[in-house]
Amino acid sequence: MPNQGDATGGAVGAGGAPGAPYGERAAVRVEGLWKRFGEQVAVAGIDLELPAGRFIGLVGPNGAGKTTTLSMVTGLLRPDMGRVLVAGHDVWADPVAVKSRIGVLPEGLRMFERLSGRELLGYMGRLRGMPGDETDKRATQLLDVLDLAGSQHKLVVDYSTGMRKKIGLAAALLHNPEVLFLDEPFEGVDPVSAQTIRGVLERYTASGATVVFSSHVMELVESLCDWVAVMAGGRIRAAGPLAHVRGEAPTLQAAFLELVGAGGRTAGDALDWLGGQAAR
Amino acid sequence: MNTAAPAPASPSAPLPPAPAASGAHAPDPAAVFVRIKLSLLRNGLKGSSKRKAAYFTSLGFALLVGLALTLGLSALRGHAHGGTLVVLLAAVLALGWAFMPLFFPAGDETLDPSRLVMLPLRPRPLVRALLVSSLIGIGPLFTVCVAVGSVVAVAHGAAGIVAAVVAVPLLLLGCVTLARAVATANVRLLTSRKGRDLALLSGLVVAVGAQLANFASQRLMETGGLAQLQPAGAVVRWLPPATAIGMVDSASRGAYGTAAAQLALTLAGLALLVWLWERSLTRVMVTPDGSTVAAQASSERGSAGGGLWALLPGGRTGATMQRTLRYVVRDPKTKAAWVSSLALGLIIPVFNALQGDGSIYLVCFGTGMLGLQMYNQFGQDTSAFWMVAQTISTTRDAYEELRARAYALALITVPYTVLVTAATAAVVPDWQAFPAGLGVALAVMGSMMCTGALASARFPYSIPSDGAFKSVVPGQAGLAWAGMAGGLLASLVLSGPVIGLAIWFEVARMESAFWLLLPLGAAWGTAATWAGVRLAAPRVARQLPEILQAVSKG
Repeated sequence: MPNQGDATGGAVGAGGAPGAPYGERAAVRVEGLWKRFGEQVAVAGIDLELPAGRFIGLVGPNGAGKTTTLSMVTGLLRPDMGRVLVAGHDVWADPVAVKSRIGVLPEGLRMFERLSGRELLGYMGRLRGMPGDETDKRATQLLDVLDLAGSQHKLVVDYSTGMRKKIGLAAALLHNPEVLFLDEPFEGVDPVSAQTIRGVLERYTASGATVVFSSHVMELVESLCDWVAVMAGGRIRAAGPLAHVRGEAPTLQAAFLELVGAGGRTAGDALDWLGGQAAR
Repeated sequence: MNTAAPAPASPSAPLPPAPAASGAHAPDPAAVFVRIKLSLLRNGLKGSSKRKAAYFTSLGFALLVGLALTLGLSALRGHAHGGTLVVLLAAVLALGWAFMPLFFPAGDETLDPSRLVMLPLRPRPLVRALLVSSLIGIGPLFTVCVAVGSVVAVAHGAAGIVAAVVAVPLLLLGCVTLARAVATANVRLLTSRKGRDLALLSGLVVAVGAQLANFASQRLMETGGLAQLQPAGAVVRWLPPATAIGMVDSASRGAYGTAAAQLALTLAGLALLVWLWERSLTRVMVTPDGSTVAAQASSERGSAGGGLWALLPGGRTGATMQRTLRYVVRDPKTKAAWVSSLALGLIIPVFNALQGDGSIYLVCFGTGMLGLQMYNQFGQDTSAFWMVAQTISTTRDAYEELRARAYALALITVPYTVLVTAATAAVVPDWQAFPAGLGVALAVMGSMMCTGALASARFPYSIPSDGAFKSVVPGQAGLAWAGMAGGLLASLVLSGPVIGLAIWFEVARMESAFWLLLPLGAAWGTAATWAGVRLAAPRVARQLPEILQAVSKG
């Protein structure tokens, strides 16, 4: 079980009043968010304030509740309790204001895969009420930048994982949202596509927009994000600027393992037969 | 001597055991494959009592039908057309074997050569082992039943009996080898997306084929109908593996020369199939997988029909209509549902009319089937519904979304209904009833769209993306049936006034008033659709996350 006593390394101090010391406008404010699936509590009361204009990483081990949290924040899953504000608007009370301001790339949900990449973008843009010409212009540029122009007439069902993530990202960016939520955007993506996605996201945040993405690859989060929230067991273990969460630890990985209480677990002598020099 | 003896022994000691051991008591690959097949069967049944029940039910069913066929065919003994009939049946059986694996590729795991690539086996023993293991199963059992019945029907005299004893295994081997050869030659297709798409269309083949077979059998049941089969039988008895049955028939009639030729042809056919199978198996196993290459072949899209798309309205309405219509063509499950509805909707009224007992009102059957497409609209989106959900923030958005889907349906259904009604009216012929039939059909369609929209909002359920006959995921069947049955009943009630009026006009012989039903039915249908979409929209807008959860289980 994660030991919360060990986790208090100054990082939770920042998590206690997240965002507050920096006097920034909050892009997302989460208050007392709960979700239970049958017996299992997936999200056990989250309070979080994510500053605007930052590259924010939501990290945690598998089953920590990252996807559930992001689904509730983006209006795809109804919370049992709690409130979510995006750019000051309640996600559940004021969907008109929220849905036009956010872009979403969920994990584990399909897209309209029997459309070609270009058709998918054209469809999404028109569904969002954008004019046809503007949609097509932006689609062309996004396809170019994301290196999908060569496959724009191929059906999405025939795309590789990396291409799917990229077309999903394009669909999420099409209406120029203020906040972008990406669930595991780099999972199963090759290094070239990952670099492309990274470039687009960095340009996007540089203009003042906010990116919130979940991942369990710490090196990636450490190199990309300037603000992180660590989740485990449905709770926030720490949140704040990267340096604060990392604290004394040499890497985010080490800090993370300590926070979720998984530090110091090695194979030891249990697998002493494994290896080239051992007796067969 | 005493220095030379240990020298060769020690370095060679670690090496020979492997080949020696496998050479000494290497099990026959055929036996291994039979054991694998039995293990797969047993493990497949383990744990799931539902699957066990399904397996034993289908086994019992196949046995029952097989035995009934054996007895029924035996009863043909002495019938004038018995020989022709059993020869044709053998051909149909072989045809079934050839195409079954294309439509049900998941049926047999040992069918997939990519699983065998790593085995240290030469093609010939591999083919033999696969052939032996393919003889186990419900299909071969059923085939044996049919073969036995067929030979009993035609075998006479000693020569006939000898031929019969040879013919049964030959027919079985012929069928199984044919199935394997066809499947192996098409394995690239079967493992690609295109192949899986094709497999999903099998429901369509079964649905339309059953209707056609129904009409064909009605025609054959007429007196003298069987005589029409004579020429076909004469050709087919020279086509392996039906030649095996042809041989029994020839031998029984004393035409020993013909019988010998047919036997030779059967054996040659079998040898050819085995050779083809072995060749394609070798090719498939030593050449790289082409599944990634196939994806490249997709042609230029989007530009085609660009002119016609421009006629659709702009915004959400046009985009949704376009997407819905594209899915009718591109999504295999949607396509199968549409094509079988369109085909049956045409076959049932027109064929009945051709046979002289038609009625213009049978058009409603096809219209009703097409109307069913409005049901579970969001389930048809699968979990991709999140993309729609992300863009719906008001009741107005939900209304426009549902209305666009109804428009897309109507764009196909309305002209189709007019055409089918006209065709039926021309064949019956009863042009006076044309407006009445069309009016009732439109009212039924509108009512179906109305209840379909409401059911889509209230009873959404997931449609699994695999399996042609799976339209509901486990656990949601009750929901699906409740929505559909309730909807059908409600549609009948909704269109009741128009149907009632039509019945009254018919009974009272008020043919002059028939035309009234056309505008009335059209208006009724439109109003019903509008009301349904209007009433469903608020619930859709309110329940987006719940709908998304319900449709994401596939």
